[in-house]
Amino acid sequence: MSKKANKIPKRKKQGICRIVSNNLRIVAKVARLAPDYFISVIVEGIIWGIINSAMSIFTVYLFDALDSIDEGTTFKEVALIIGAMAVFYLLAYAFDAWYWRIYNPLLRQKLELRLHRELFEKSQTLDVSCYDDPEFYNDFVWAMDEAGARAYEVMSDIGAMIHRLVLGGTLFTLMFSIDKIVGVILLVSAILSTVIYRVGNRVWFNHEKEAKPLWRKKDYINRVFNLPEYSKELRISHASDLLIDEMDENLEKVVAVEKKYGKKYFLLYGVLNNLILHAVHYGVILYMLYQLVNGNVLIGAFAASINVIWRVRWALSDFVERITKFPKHSLFLEKYYGFLSYEPRTLSGKRAVPGFESLELKNVSFTYDFSHNPKYEYGEKKEKEKHSEKSGEALRNVSLTLKRGEKIAIVGYNGAGKTTLIKLLMRLYDPTEGEILFNGVDIREYELNEYRNRIGTVFQDFKIFAASIGENVMNGGYDPTTERETVIAALDASGFTSKLKELENGVDTVLTREFDDKGTNLSGGEGQKVAIARVFAKPFELIIMDEPSSALDPIAEYELNQAILKYASDKTVIFISHRLSTTRMADRIYMFVGGELTECGSHDELMTQNGKYAEMFNLQAEKYKKD
Amino acid sequence: MNKKEKAQKKEKKKKLPLRRSASNITFALREVWHVSAAYFVIYYLVTLIYAPLDFLTDSFLLRMIVNKVEGNESITSIIVYIIVIASFAIAVDLLSGMYWRVISPGMYERISASIERKLFKKASSVELACYETPAFYDKYMKAMEGARDRIMRVMNTIDNLIWRTVTLLCNSFLLFFIDPVLIIFGLLPLLLGFVRRWQNRLNKKYYDEKKPIDRRVAYVRRTFYLNEYSKEMRIGGMYSRMLKELNHTYKDFKALMKRYGFRIAIANYIQRIGLEVVTILGAMFYAVWCTVYRGSMTIGDCIVILNSIGTISYCLNSLVQNFAEFGEHSLFLEDVRYFLDYEPKIKDEENAPVARYGDIELENVFFRYEGAEVDTLKGVSMKIKKGEHVALVGQNGSGKTTLVKLLLRLYDPTSGTVKMDGEDIKDYRLSTYRDSFNCVFQDFKVFSMSVKENVLLRRCDDSDDELVVSSLKESGAYDKIMSLDNGINSTLTREFDDNGANLSIGEQQKVSLARVFADSTPVVILDEPSSALDPIAEHKMFENMMRASKGSTVIFISHRLSSAVDADRIFLLENGEIAESGTHHELMQKKGKYEAMFTFQAQNYLGKEGEGNE
Repeated sequence: MSKKANKIPKRKKQGICRIVSNNLRIVAKVARLAPDYFISVIVEGIIWGIINSAMSIFTVYLFDALDSIDEGTTFKEVALIIGAMAVFYLLAYAFDAWYWRIYNPLLRQKLELRLHRELFEKSQTLDVSCYDDPEFYNDFVWAMDEAGARAYEVMSDIGAMIHRLVLGGTLFTLMFSIDKIVGVILLVSAILSTVIYRVGNRVWFNHEKEAKPLWRKKDYINRVFNLPEYSKELRISHASDLLIDEMDENLEKVVAVEKKYGKKYFLLYGVLNNLILHAVHYGVILYMLYQLVNGNVLIGAFAASINVIWRVRWALSDFVERITKFPKHSLFLEKYYGFLSYEPRTLSGKRAVPGFESLELKNVSFTYDFSHNPKYEYGEKKEKEKHSEKSGEALRNVSLTLKRGEKIAIVGYNGAGKTTLIKLLMRLYDPTEGEILFNGVDIREYELNEYRNRIGTVFQDFKIFAASIGENVMNGGYDPTTERETVIAALDASGFTSKLKELENGVDTVLTREFDDKGTNLSGGEGQKVAIARVFAKPFELIIMDEPSSALDPIAEYELNQAILKYASDKTVIFISHRLSTTRMADRIYMFVGGELTECGSHDELMTQNGKYAEMFNLQAEKYKKD
Repeated sequence: MNKKEKAQKKEKKKKLPLRRSASNITFALREVWHVSAAYFVIYYLVTLIYAPLDFLTDSFLLRMIVNKVEGNESITSIIVYIIVIASFAIAVDLLSGMYWRVISPGMYERISASIERKLFKKASSVELACYETPAFYDKYMKAMEGARDRIMRVMNTIDNLIWRTVTLLCNSFLLFFIDPVLIIFGLLPLLLGFVRRWQNRLNKKYYDEKKPIDRRVAYVRRTFYLNEYSKEMRIGGMYSRMLKELNHTYKDFKALMKRYGFRIAIANYIQRIGLEVVTILGAMFYAVWCTVYRGSMTIGDCIVILNSIGTISYCLNSLVQNFAEFGEHSLFLEDVRYFLDYEPKIKDEENAPVARYGDIELENVFFRYEGAEVDTLKGVSMKIKKGEHVALVGQNGSGKTTLVKLLLRLYDPTSGTVKMDGEDIKDYRLSTYRDSFNCVFQDFKVFSMSVKENVLLRRCDDSDDELVVSSLKESGAYDKIMSLDNGINSTLTREFDDNGANLSIGEQQKVSLARVFADSTPVVILDEPSSALDPIAEHKMFENMMRASKGSTVIFISHRLSSAVDADRIFLLENGEIAESGTHHELMQKKGKYEAMFTFQAQNYLGKEGEGNE
């Protein structure tokens, strides 16, 4: 709560300049990404402004004509006016149908696509550490969700404002030429509305701030009941009663908040704004009546001007309402810009990556730290929290060397820093202290993507993508004509062949049902085999296996180990495991405890040393030995 | 093929008979009525007061002014009329504003919560198989997503309906009063019903075909923003593959627009022309003709007509939309009701006897998942004696977890019976039966609540602290929990508390294991309880677990055979059948599958002694 409170003053400081510049930036972006969309919004606004003004003017003519019946208006003259209106309507609606049903949806889709593309490209350069920072991550997801819709909204608000301006301006001039006093009344009421809406906006911000945590809780409870992964737990325990209790408690709070702000909205819109509206409405009627009775206007003109006044009044108040939406837009957009301007700390170097010779870690320490660079304003954390996060150093002063062709194992308990080490080696993070040398050169100097693509990695939490098996194995860039054999061989090495034979479309089988209802869902173990095949499919010189056998049963695990040994006889392999059985075949074993490298050597050496490794190994082997 | 036919059938079913639609709508109204009858009554009372206002302040007022001025009546009487109408309008606006802004939002929340509560309760009582039937699950998800505002939207549609109808009737009456012929123009748009139906069909097809495109875009987005994809997206070409997919969606959308865009635009055009050009301009033309050419109408009346004909066409247009909305609401509520009316196949019968605890017995149990082509369990028979510690081992996919799900009655067997203390478990009252189990699943979950509540899974107070602490100590989570700012009162996860604690998977597993220690039940089931624990933690946890559950029946699943060694009995499952059973010793001597698997694993630890010269 208190953290949120920090943010609000910053919000309130938002000056006119910032609002304008934030909104202009998105407009400029739209103009750049989809110029046709940008132009069409403006043109559409102007055209409809003219069309609607013309419609009103027609009405005025018609009423005028009726007024002068006594002076000898013929039916033909009036019929001509109506005929002209008919033709005009036919054309205008044709334009409208084409624009809204065909042209605009296409452009909108295009705009959203381009905005998303830009975000996706940006997200690719993000440091992986950003995903660990919940606050940054929330904003990031938010930017992804909202960007398209928000840009669209800003643009349609601008389009609508142009329309109201053209319409209001034309009719206002018309009205002003008929009667100046009515013009003045209209202007004053519009200004008063602006003030009310501005205050209303401020109330809305506080409302949102207060209600947001409650909404989040509601969403969470919703999710628990919706997601299949909670379903078992809900059935065998009494958690569902607890959650429903929680929901009821939350409901009372929500209702209280709604009531509290409801009263404020009522005062602003229900009382103040309504009174102004009615005062103007009846004031104008009375004034025009006075003119009518005094013979200054005729009855047709009286009706026509009431009609026109209503349109002007509507155009003005809608214009005002739209204007007051821009500060809201601006706040949202700021988050979006904050995200776009995030500068990744893991920057690419320029050096080309040579063939692998050696890898060395020199006094490497690493701390997960969620405070991001100052450019990203919304990622700021409370001091205290930063401190408590920092206290957990994931790796402390680690040094080790690895040469071509070696097979090493990294072992340790949960949270010993094994996976962090891998992330550092992959340069998903950079060390807080110390350096990592590839062939004697700091890895930060190499071209980042090329470097990452040199290392074949199977992650513990591997993911299967909604794409064909071939594409999954080749990591995206799969050419069926030349690479089919490679993929089949790699799958064979990872033990997937028997499953592959069951599949009608072989390596072209589409995985997951995301895109295709006939797609194949693999089991955890099968998926892992596909993920493992990735490292067999390309000639990686350095391979990292992060708990590669966790989803495999003992026999599959054994076969996998054999396959890796066979395939990677001349390659460099790093195994990570807490199942020590896997690690015996390694040339060297590194034992990590609490982020520190405590023991290092071959299995036999470590067993003779009788340290932590021996303890851990014996514990696991004990049960097997008994026999 | 079969599936497609089914899908088509369902497609046809989409049109609900009128009676069912009406009953769906009344269902929604009843919901509101139950939450607050007063609210319901006031809601429509406000509508009834508000509805005539449009007519009074617009057409009626104009006609009155025009008539009085033409009749040369005194200006003061006109002014009095205007003031009366104005004060009425202001009073009504204040009243309804008060209602809409202050009372309604809170009631809205209450009404949505009431329907959600029903859905949630149902959701946690339907059998698990429902989650695996995509058609059912889709229905459920749809029901969940929209239920909260759908009820209020029904109320709103009816409100609009009343409002427009009143305005329409008042204006029509006025026109009829002036010249009955004019009514014909108001009725003309109704002739265009077939165009509207055509447009609805087109729209439906269009949205159905657009759905897969939206789904693809959503997936691509997920791969970019979800943490679990972040590493793989940074390596290799998956990134450009996904961008390519995104570009494809645009191409597909363009093709879709090409197919439907023009026809939809035409349908839309015809309707607007029919309504606005034919009706409005037609009526204008007629009125002007009467006034100017035939001279049968006064200028004042003509002007009133020109004004109110627009209102009439607007009301007709909205009414048409309102009725279309009813169709939409009803279709949607159909899903909600289908779900709420669904009779769970495995349900809690209140009259059924309370479960007794005793030997567990499976007799020739077969089980096949919905939609699967082969049986997951093929004739399993086994007996677990009261108080026995039993291990289920076997390869991935051999049916271990499924067996446990049957024991918990999350599913019922396709054939065969599961018995507890000699009685079919189906005969017991479900809730009492499940209460005799404690279970930690492989894919356990922690909830975004305090540690305490996570352990006890019920509301708790200070008197429970001791129990929670001792359970956490047993499961090994105590030290970590105590290092959190609020100890056992800390909230887990940051779902809605920014200061919540994000525990590692291993720590989370320890917390969920503490549930077993906190509540001693006759049967404990552990499905790979140690998968996220390191060997030492696993060892300690196991020792504690065995000690704590002395006297209880314990069934645990593991594919690490070492943990099975101490079990009273081991069942080896293979392809859904029990291949071997017995104690560790017996199975080793049998030199069968178990022995082979055990040796495989042992080899890595005992390699030296086992193979000598490796």
